Amino acid sequence: MIRFDRVTVRYPDNGPAPLRDVTLRVEEGELCLVAGRTGAGKSTLLRAINGLVPHFTGGTLHGTVTVDGRDTRTHPPRDLADVVGVVGQDPLSGFVTDTVEEELAYGMEQLALPPTVMRKRVEETLDLLGIADLRNRPLRTLSGGQQQRVAIGAVLTTHPRVLVLDEPTSALDPTAAEDVLATITRLVHDLGVTVVLAEHRLERVVQYADRLLYLPGDGRVVDGPPAEVLADVNLVPPLVELGRLAGWTPLPLSVRDARRQATELRQRLARATPSWPPPATEPATALSARRIVVRHPGTVAVAGVDLDLHTGQIVALMGRNGSGKSSLLWAVQGSGPRQGGAVTVFGPTGAVDPRRLPAHQARRHVGLVPQTPGDLLYLETVDAECHQADRETGVPAGTCRALLDQLAPGLPGDRHPRDLSEGQRLALALAVQLTAAPPVVLLDEPTRGLDYDAKRRFASLVRGLAAAGRSVVVATHDVELVAALADRVIVMAEGEIVADGATAEVMLASPAFAPQVAKVLAPAPWLTVEQVAAALGAAREPA
Amino acid sequence: MSVLRVAPRTAVVLVLASAAALAPFTWPLFIPARPDGAARAAEAPLVFVVMLPVLVALALAELTSGGIDSKALAMLGVLAAVNAALRPLGAGTAGVETVFFLLVLAGRVFGPGFGFLLGSTSLFASALLTAGVGPWLPFQMLAASWVGLGAGLLPRRLRGRAEVAALAAYGALAAYGYGLLMNLWFWPFSTGTDTQLSYVAGAPLLENLHRLAVFTAVTSTFGWDTGRAVTTALAIVLAGPAVLTALRRAARRAAFDAPVRFAAPRSAVADAAVAATDELPGGPRANRRRRVRR
Amino acid sequence: MVAWPRPDDGVVPPTRMAEVTVDRGPTTGAGRGMVRLPRALHPGAWWLWALGLATAASHTTNPLPLALLVAVAALVVVRRRGDAPWALAFRMYVWLGAVIVAMRVVFRVVFGGGQGEHVLLRLPEIPLPEWAAGIRLFGPVAAEQVLGGLYDGLRLATMLICLGAANALANPKRLLKAVPGALYAVGTAVVVALSVAPQVVESVLRVRRARRLRGAPGRGMRALRAIALPVLADALDRSLALAASMDSRGYGRTAAVPAGQRAVTGALVLGGLVGVCAGTYGLLDATGPDRLGLPMLLAGLAAAVAGMLLAGRRIRRSRYRPDRWRPAELLVAGCGVTAAALTMLAGAVDPEPLYPPVSPLTWPELTPLVLLAVAAAALPAWLAPPPPLTRTARPPSAPTGVTAAEAVRAAVPPTRVPGGRA
Repeated sequence: MIRFDRVTVRYPDNGPAPLRDVTLRVEEGELCLVAGRTGAGKSTLLRAINGLVPHFTGGTLHGTVTVDGRDTRTHPPRDLADVVGVVGQDPLSGFVTDTVEEELAYGMEQLALPPTVMRKRVEETLDLLGIADLRNRPLRTLSGGQQQRVAIGAVLTTHPRVLVLDEPTSALDPTAAEDVLATITRLVHDLGVTVVLAEHRLERVVQYADRLLYLPGDGRVVDGPPAEVLADVNLVPPLVELGRLAGWTPLPLSVRDARRQATELRQRLARATPSWPPPATEPATALSARRIVVRHPGTVAVAGVDLDLHTGQIVALMGRNGSGKSSLLWAVQGSGPRQGGAVTVFGPTGAVDPRRLPAHQARRHVGLVPQTPGDLLYLETVDAECHQADRETGVPAGTCRALLDQLAPGLPGDRHPRDLSEGQRLALALAVQLTAAPPVVLLDEPTRGLDYDAKRRFASLVRGLAAAGRSVVVATHDVELVAALADRVIVMAEGEIVADGATAEVMLASPAFAPQVAKVLAPAPWLTVEQVAAALGAAREPA
Repeated sequence: MSVLRVAPRTAVVLVLASAAALAPFTWPLFIPARPDGAARAAEAPLVFVVMLPVLVALALAELTSGGIDSKALAMLGVLAAVNAALRPLGAGTAGVETVFFLLVLAGRVFGPGFGFLLGSTSLFASALLTAGVGPWLPFQMLAASWVGLGAGLLPRRLRGRAEVAALAAYGALAAYGYGLLMNLWFWPFSTGTDTQLSYVAGAPLLENLHRLAVFTAVTSTFGWDTGRAVTTALAIVLAGPAVLTALRRAARRAAFDAPVRFAAPRSAVADAAVAATDELPGGPRANRRRRVRR
Repeated sequence: MVAWPRPDDGVVPPTRMAEVTVDRGPTTGAGRGMVRLPRALHPGAWWLWALGLATAASHTTNPLPLALLVAVAALVVVRRRGDAPWALAFRMYVWLGAVIVAMRVVFRVVFGGGQGEHVLLRLPEIPLPEWAAGIRLFGPVAAEQVLGGLYDGLRLATMLICLGAANALANPKRLLKAVPGALYAVGTAVVVALSVAPQVVESVLRVRRARRLRGAPGRGMRALRAIALPVLADALDRSLALAASMDSRGYGRTAAVPAGQRAVTGALVLGGLVGVCAGTYGLLDATGPDRLGLPMLLAGLAAAVAGMLLAGRRIRRSRYRPDRWRPAELLVAGCGVTAAALTMLAGAVDPEPLYPPVSPLTWPELTPLVLLAVAAAALPAWLAPPPPLTRTARPPSAPTGVTAAEAVRAAVPPTRVPGGRA
């Protein structure tokens, strides 16, 4: 179906070629997973399939790419629209019209299909994706998962034989991501569409994939069955890591596979207990919030929540979208609306309520990095942002840059903040906020769109903050991150706190919040591969 | 750079349409007095009000007749959206005008043809959003288009502070010019024909201009225009350099004029060897800052 | 080929297909004794109707038919507007009309120069300084003068209110779908602008909120840069993603244009425009041949439009659920045209009652023809199908999105626009 014949891609900027001498075939009806670090060339590979590379991006393509017998050299993307459907990362930015129905019809209008055919296909697609009740809704008002399903539907209406999806879930929360991935696998099975999918949450899809294309980042593409390719890949889901640790072959791709192989491991671990970080001796209260109420027009976002944060502790704030996590963080920081309650920060200057302080004072007590860290950045270079941060905080020049070098070493100072990767931009926004040295740091969904590597770096960064005596709150959906990072977990629902306790206690209590390792080794209380590795190492030493 | 190539034929059409479109704005200054003057005076504005939307449509159709590139079209739509969304923010306060600021800067960066299109689409989208469609709309669209076109025609050589200064001066001038054109078209409708501020058919040009000036002064639109000119110029001086950088960066990222080439496959070894010495066509573009891709 | 489910595979439930036929079927013929289902009328029909009314209004200064026309427009709007945000625009147009009438009268009083016999009151005259030589303010105020202003203003206000009715009744987005092929690209840009604008507003609010986190104020000229740049950068990044999406979905497929046809369209457009320029000159030149102006102008316009439409035929694409001209549309548009034609006829038969003289003062009168015109104008209140209501079908979710959209509309009353000020 898709053939790459000795393909090398070079962009006009004369940088290194993202693809070098790639030859591969994707057969009809395959679900082909593309993995690799951010910047390894995943997008280039995907965009070469329908000719966006080089027709849209500019540059040189050596070799040939053919889809369904059509050569992209002679067929620009618009002439492949009836064969290849492309879905991007952020569905909202790819929408041309503003209601669901019209968006579904747009592609067909471009292909000049007759109105009766269009009408029929729109109805089919609405039902196929289960979005018939959304047909008249403005796209903007849909949830992320619904938007992504509409985006998939919008390319399906032209009946393409290949579906190319570039990280379709990276901007979604886990439930929505689950939804979208379920839709995709269903399409493969029911319609026999060939799917090429780039995805960084390997743990969710790798079990369905027929093939894995791994891009190590040097222009090569490693091609093979998922379990084989994953054996020598350094970015892998916890399940595979556990499998490697235990020496299982083939490597498990689903919890079910792993559980069936884990009997022996469970026995080996029976007598060991997971190592927990020692609780801080008599943790001092850093912030205390009482009866916080936040109302938005029509809803109560936070309904009288009490919250205590301790120095040196990392708290994970979990809960579905709309459960009030963001509203709580903004209210605690003092910049967001707060209709009731009191916040007290026990800083070096005594107890204060950040809301009663002017904005530039409040950030010295509580720092918040919003969901889109780019909102904080408005200057042209990284250096300019750092200087501005030093100036507006009134600290010696170079403070912010020094912080940034700890968080993300070697970030070029002349780089435009918009040209940074998600992880680097997060580090810069965090450095800007840390310049004011707040004892309490709040992070709103910081790991959205980060790959395994970036997440790992982010985790160690947050641990560093806590070790320096800061109190950190991370609002997130990512259970694996929470398992590896948090000391304490708070779960919110409908504006109230429904669970609050030590990480193991909360995470093991419900399968919804259990990380993969816990699911494999249940009922034993293991959360992370590191814990298992430590226990196995300890068990081996005395022997 | 110019993201929209204006062919000679298109340029001629734009000039002719603009020349013809001056009449609907300026007819009160030139309308002759004749025995049938009364009838003429009643029919002329209607003819012109019908004629202008057609002229605007012709100009827009001609500009896009070569098939507008999807990148330019998306940029046009998104910038028009920013303009349409920003417009209400300033409209509450007398004289604060947020449309020209981005229009002038975008016209400068993306060229005269794009500026012309942006002026029209911005005001049209804004009118649709606020249910403000009416006979005034083509007048506003065309005047805004001229503003965008003019910004694209400023000398290319200017860079740095000189560029910002020129753009700010142009922005202020354009704000006054726009105000004058709007006054001109609304003048006969707001005063009727028989007050001392009304135009006089057949009167010398100077007298009518004088009456227009008095009308402008009396209706205090001059103050309004001054407010608009000052805010536009101020906004360009304050945010202009940064916005210009952002727009130029977007143009670079969009790679409007990057060459698209296909070539025979080459072996990885040869590729690695050539990588160091290979010069791509495009000269200066080859050593510009690296684009970062996902 | 991939095995796609067909409706008869049972993938599409039969009930749904049935619903669909009922929803948009041809059963909506007006006035034929059938049940008329709610549907949106072709926006062009409303605009033709409104333009007809405006034309009728432009042919009279008699306050009675003018007032009746305003009442008719209001009646139709109240009976046939939907629940979309633009449906509320009518009220603003009425206010605007009132402002215009007041302005006209005030201008007459202040700058009128006092012609007329029935002097109502005498205000002190104020001669203006040197630079405005010859102009006096105030002076005697005559009834004729005030009434003249009132009539004149009322005519303009009525025309405006009729257009306001079209703004309130016609769906602007459907109007965009009806643009000719040559304007397709511009139409798409406007569609994009309309869908992105509310997102830009949301992004402005978000960034403004984030400003406080850096300890800076969210208002004033100094915040402009800090707010404008992240918003603009977001928007520009979005434009690139959008372009890629449009390209991959087939935007820009065009048929090849033969050189001959291109030459013909070019000649038509250019020749037409030259004709328009010449015609305009003829119209405005006192010495030129009188008859040449207007016909030349119209012929030029026609040629240029023909060229444009011809050029638009190279765009090869189809429309999803196009608005069709069905009987109800024709009836509504016909009512507008009839109203205009009857008024013009009345003017041809006896112009006197349509332009009641202010000097000597006479009481305005209505003639049967004019009444008939007004009655025709009012018919769409019953002939047009009732509008579909969308609000009830929409779940009350996503408060932020709705507020942002409403914020755009609420922030600017269109009252400002017709003043000519952007």
